Amino acid sequence: MNTQFLLQLLVNGLVVGTLYGVVAMSFVLIYKATQVVNFAQGELLLIGAWVCWTLLTKYQVPFWLGMPMTLVFMFAFGILVQVVILRPLIGEPIISVIMVTIALSAVFQAALKWIYGVNPQPFPRVFTSQSVTIGSLQIQTVYVMSLVVSVLMMLGMAWFFKVSKWGLAMRATAFNQQVAQSLGISVKTVFAMAWAISAMVSAVAGVVVAVVNGVSSGLSIYGIKVFPAVILGGLDSIGGAVVGGIIIGLLENFAQFVDSEYLHWGNLYEVAPFYVLIIILMIKPYGLFGTKDIERV
Amino acid sequence: MTMKSYLASASIALLIAGASASAQAQIAVGHLADYSGGTSDVGTPYGQGVVDTYAWINKNGGIGGKQVNLDSNDYGYQVPRAIALYKKWSGADKVAAIMGWGTADTEALTGFLAQDKIPDISGSYSAALTDPTGAGGKAKPAPYNFFYGPSYSDALRAELTWAAEDWKAKGKSGKPKYVHMGANHPYPNAPKAAGEALAAELGFEVLPPLVFALTPGDYSAQCLSLKSAGANYAYLGNTAASNISVMKACKAAGVDVQFMSNVWGMDENAAKAAGDAADGVIFPLRTAVSWGGNAPGMKTVQEISKISDPSGKIYRPVHYIAAVCTSLYMKEALDWAAKNGGATGENVAKGFYQKKDWVPAGMDGVCNPSTWTDKDHRPTTKVDLYRSKVSGSTDGDLNDLMAKGTIKLEKVKTVELPRKPEWHGW
Amino acid sequence: MASPSLIPAGDFRTSYAVDTTIFPTTTGRNFAILGVVLICFAPQLLSEYWLSQMIVIGIYGIAALGLNILVGFTGQISIGHAAFFLLGAFTSAYISNKTPIPVFFAIPLAGIVTAIVGLIFGLPAARLKGLYLVIATLAAQYILIDFFSRAEWFSGGSVPAMAKPFSIFDYELRGDRKYFYVVLAYVVVSYLLVTNLMRSRDGRALVAVRDHYLSAEIMGINLTKYRTLSFGLAAFFAGIAGALYAHYQLVVSNEGFGIERSILFLAMVIIGGTGSIMGTLMGTAFVMLVPEAMEWISMELKGGVIDKALALNNNLTFLREIAIGLIIIAFLVFEPDGLAHRWRQIKTYWKLYPFSH
Repeated sequence: MNTQFLLQLLVNGLVVGTLYGVVAMSFVLIYKATQVVNFAQGELLLIGAWVCWTLLTKYQVPFWLGMPMTLVFMFAFGILVQVVILRPLIGEPIISVIMVTIALSAVFQAALKWIYGVNPQPFPRVFTSQSVTIGSLQIQTVYVMSLVVSVLMMLGMAWFFKVSKWGLAMRATAFNQQVAQSLGISVKTVFAMAWAISAMVSAVAGVVVAVVNGVSSGLSIYGIKVFPAVILGGLDSIGGAVVGGIIIGLLENFAQFVDSEYLHWGNLYEVAPFYVLIIILMIKPYGLFGTKDIERV
Repeated sequence: MTMKSYLASASIALLIAGASASAQAQIAVGHLADYSGGTSDVGTPYGQGVVDTYAWINKNGGIGGKQVNLDSNDYGYQVPRAIALYKKWSGADKVAAIMGWGTADTEALTGFLAQDKIPDISGSYSAALTDPTGAGGKAKPAPYNFFYGPSYSDALRAELTWAAEDWKAKGKSGKPKYVHMGANHPYPNAPKAAGEALAAELGFEVLPPLVFALTPGDYSAQCLSLKSAGANYAYLGNTAASNISVMKACKAAGVDVQFMSNVWGMDENAAKAAGDAADGVIFPLRTAVSWGGNAPGMKTVQEISKISDPSGKIYRPVHYIAAVCTSLYMKEALDWAAKNGGATGENVAKGFYQKKDWVPAGMDGVCNPSTWTDKDHRPTTKVDLYRSKVSGSTDGDLNDLMAKGTIKLEKVKTVELPRKPEWHGW
Repeated sequence: MASPSLIPAGDFRTSYAVDTTIFPTTTGRNFAILGVVLICFAPQLLSEYWLSQMIVIGIYGIAALGLNILVGFTGQISIGHAAFFLLGAFTSAYISNKTPIPVFFAIPLAGIVTAIVGLIFGLPAARLKGLYLVIATLAAQYILIDFFSRAEWFSGGSVPAMAKPFSIFDYELRGDRKYFYVVLAYVVVSYLLVTNLMRSRDGRALVAVRDHYLSAEIMGINLTKYRTLSFGLAAFFAGIAGALYAHYQLVVSNEGFGIERSILFLAMVIIGGTGSIMGTLMGTAFVMLVPEAMEWISMELKGGVIDKALALNNNLTFLREIAIGLIIIAFLVFEPDGLAHRWRQIKTYWKLYPFSH
């Protein structure tokens, strides 16, 4: 057994996993507040990354300015998507809403390829990509940065929901829309805000991934990886989403370890999360941290 | 209910049938291009090259006085769509030839092509397409498949030959380790067995292959595996976009490995996108020179390029020039057929056998001399190996980067492989 | 298909048999039969292009029909339908290549095999609802596709598998013109089968599960049985369609049957109208013809100003994807009941003409 290799992979898994966690968190945010399963989460991430890339390379905006501009754009974009496309669907059956987000993801994906082409583009150097050596492990500074950014975002999210007025309004809406409305919370605004914040958080994750790997349509795979993560954590638990994301990240890399050391299948790493997903659904149909809804006739 | 709509469609169909009757005086050629699928990164310049070349041919009098009706279709690198298009081309349209593309679709079409006698000059250089009679016993007979350039297997054999010498030249001891990397797909897999067999023969230790998808993504885990396995020479079997992701991730993970790429795995755009991660990658070049190179034929290429870029300012990557060569070989085969009994598929295939060390007219010094015979469809076994050199930041226009020498394609070695019968067809 | 507005006044139904009849009027039935007879002449009348379009629409129509049983009648969502379609294609190719069984029998066999696999994946589905089920089918999609790309003994691994042309013992049906009848037969039989299924006790049970599963359970409907059954049925039709596709194309490759294709199947069902049998065929035709229409439009625009400005030539596929996506969204927002509903409205309009509002 190659411990050194395993450790290196697990560190990689932790880094990728926290990013999954961040995306999963923004996915759960939309689901919790608006009951919409967003299949276009990966595209929100991709749009964020491309917008930031455009600002940085085409308009030569410095990063400290480009990033907030991207966030502002994504905030507006999130509201726009919610208001224009999802608001008319309030009250429609769940399948229609799911289908709309799937269609949205197809539209965004194609539109981005149309605008930016199919080649991956390198991201301007934001952080110097050197590596630090901790013990016997070599870790990229970019990865450390990404870990720090992810944790910061998670803390920010926790603060937002626990303390801020908007966060509380959102939690109230998630708990019961009618009660929230009768307490004077504008449910419509809460819905729009949920999309806006989710788009922003995804964009941050998108930029972090882009800094490491460059921008390409491949980034939207995060939107698919999010499903095993949120199912693991339970669809309506934000904390669970983070934990689920980290577990999936670790699991993928562990699968890669098993694969390259023993099995030599080649792509166990890609499918392993889906096998886990099926197993979890068999044992715990509501995820590890999700709430089982009790139905009354 | 359906009746009405079917009647409507029937009448439209009659109209369409009527319209196509007037287009009889043309030579129909089918063109499979990938502008949107897994290989669109290199499929786009190649497809553009084919389209431009045929437009240029038509502008200059067509083939035997007839215009070529090139039916270009973006099939998204998907076999089912290629088959559907082929059905159209072999049935109603009756094309004289096909400008093909991917390995999976070309190999799937091989049997149909032989049956319908339609030649296909593909963008796939899979060695399985090189045995027209099947006498070699390694591949199914592929009498109507052609391509221009060394086969994937031969290119990899040349790279391995170079790698073995490189290992010695660097004075390293022990067995070098070789690993094949690519998606689990017919195209990256095409030269896998051939490469691993020769690597073992040349004294490499062959590691289990590593898989990464044809799409760009995060391949850090694969790079860590590469590092842990201690590979010295890694073959990248995918196309540029996903190879870039691997090169970048491996650079970040601090993997010390010499990458050798497939012919579609490296080009000027890729070097620009990958930046310093692409520095030092070995890859084969199909043409004698790259864009703006010093050769008499480059003038023709530039003229062709003006079809879609009148300003003449766009930098054309190696795949564009290869597409020009490929299209012109097909053009001359069509020319021969038109003069010798008409441009039918059978005659066009014969057209390919007419010359030895053939360079299309006006392309001297660009296209490498190629020879096709009815026994052997390997146009050449001579492989020019280049190394990409990236020095400094690759932001900015590709033309400038090439002019300034930030990105350079440096010739490393020309490997002349023997035409071994046991290498025929794989 | 009984739609109240079309029944003239004074037409009372006195038995269940009359109420559930497929064709409420004799003229309706005669027209339907006449339609099928007329379509039989299509190979003689239509160009090859239109013929191939019709064959493909027929094949996908069968698969979409299966999905509509799941989505429209049982209210479960699957985004793994393409994987089952592909399983049917590979199975039929495998059976006809490796065994002496002729293709004629291989197609229904492939349907049965696919149904069994569908039942296996349907087992967790019996416990799951809504989103969790969607995601389980997503996993099925990835796992099956991965299996196909690896199982060299079965699907040829990454190399596309070859399938034999359709044959009954020694008689071979080659070419679109002959194969058309095979597909037509399957389309007619499948659609009749499903229409009849929905009139039976089992069909009503499926609908009851969709409408309110708790009430259905209280009324004595076995939830697990019907949820799993609908999965098996959906997979069965997907398998049949896949097998038909395999022997039409003669090559089976696992490309192009990823999640996008599953989504396209869902789009067919939704655009046609969930829970409408004839709507499924309309939806399929619509979804298959939109890309073709896009192609014609781009051909018209070729060389023009718009073409140059948008660089249409190389980006046609992206535009097509955008258009399909937008059409799906537009349908969901403006026409949630699908084409079937619109069709009924048009029929009512003519029925009442000139007195319709």
